[in-house]
Amino acid sequence: MRITADRERCEGHGLCADVAPEVYELDDDAIVVLLHETVPSALERKAEAGARVCPVAALRVEQSVGA
Amino acid sequence: MPDSDVRLPEVAPVSVPSSDIHLFSAAVLLDPYPSYAQLREQAAVVHLSANDVYALTRYDVVRDALGDWETFSSAAGIGFNPMVNEALQGTSLASDPPQHTALRAALTENLSPRALRGLKGQIDAKADALVAGLVASGSFDAIDSIARVFPLEIVADLIGFTGEVRGHMLAWGKAANQVIGPLNQRTAESFPIAGELYAWCSSVTRDDLAEGSIGRGIFDAEERGAIPPGSAGPIIHQYLAAGVENTVSAIGNIIALFAAHPDQLALVRDDVSLVPAAFNEVLRFWAPINVWGRQTTKDVEVDGVPIPAGARVAVCLGAGNRDPRHYENPDEFLVERNPVDHLSLGYGIHGCAGQGLARLEAHAVIDALARRVERLVVGAEVRVPHNATRSIDSLPVLEVVPA
Repeated sequence: MRITADRERCEGHGLCADVAPEVYELDDDAIVVLLHETVPSALERKAEAGARVCPVAALRVEQSVGA
Repeated sequence: MPDSDVRLPEVAPVSVPSSDIHLFSAAVLLDPYPSYAQLREQAAVVHLSANDVYALTRYDVVRDALGDWETFSSAAGIGFNPMVNEALQGTSLASDPPQHTALRAALTENLSPRALRGLKGQIDAKADALVAGLVASGSFDAIDSIARVFPLEIVADLIGFTGEVRGHMLAWGKAANQVIGPLNQRTAESFPIAGELYAWCSSVTRDDLAEGSIGRGIFDAEERGAIPPGSAGPIIHQYLAAGVENTVSAIGNIIALFAAHPDQLALVRDDVSLVPAAFNEVLRFWAPINVWGRQTTKDVEVDGVPIPAGARVAVCLGAGNRDPRHYENPDEFLVERNPVDHLSLGYGIHGCAGQGLARLEAHAVIDALARRVERLVVGAEVRVPHNATRSIDSLPVLEVVPA
């Protein structure tokens, strides 16, 4: 599973990092940074939950195909 | 008193679930939840003949519509009468990309959590001093003494309002939200007051606003061409209309819900890390704004119900928040639930732009209450119907049991 972050749209509310600090971090400008290029399977549920709470829909989950 | 607006009911196609519930009647505005439950049980989409809107009633369809601006557009306005939708043109509220993108960026530049992070200490200290003073006084009106004064002062200082305009902010903010409703008596009575705000916002200049304020930052953005000419005024309008009335509602709701549920306050007192979760639950349980408008750009089918292109859609945030398909025991107020995905602040490109500031203010109030108060003994809350913002008008605190 991969997450894509729209850094233009991110406003730094930080809810993703609250929900899944192992997957999301805010940089010094309070813009989201993804900690994993491909989300480890053990973190997939958390990653999804973090993407879901983004209030401005800046995070998108892409399920890997055929993985 | 019944609403004075008389509209000819439109006959919906046979296949569309329909109801005669009137979303903006005084009874529904005061206590919307029984009507929402009825609509939700009927269908995910219900045509309301009294309002000529398609109501989205269940969590999933509300959230999906908020995330799909291309189908559920804001460009024709988010209100329920043509006058307000006309007046809102030129704001990020009533636009979609690409116009929306620059307006939203200008609106949030100084309002994002990143921009506000230096303010937390100051806001916490203000809330603490306010609550400490009220605990010492022992009896007060929670709405006048906390819910109204606290956000008013913070928003006024941030935007840079000085002098006599500060005295108009509450009434202007209330009216600006009231006119989002249909053309009923409340809307008619509020248009002149909302008009004073429109007039002020169209004549206000950079130098009327305090130095270093967010309000001035907007005019600077206009000057350097980051936003279209003439859009600074409408943005200032949005700050005031959204930043006061809805936060007043949320903070009043915090106090009322903790007074009514001392066991829930005790949970937060035992574990202050529950403060953000508690605010999410307050917002879910009593949304400041229950209904928001959209317009379909094309024929669309939602959960099997056809909605034609160009239809007015009532996105029922407050109904979705109580959907048992999404939240267990949705009619219980439980601070440990932490419903981070509640619908009260919208979602997606139009999600509440001021939510970072709202969180700072609300968390500060909850934190101060949890540290200083064991129990609040309150009298009867008074509510006055409002077309957009559901809030408590007066809540006497008769006794404070200090922590």
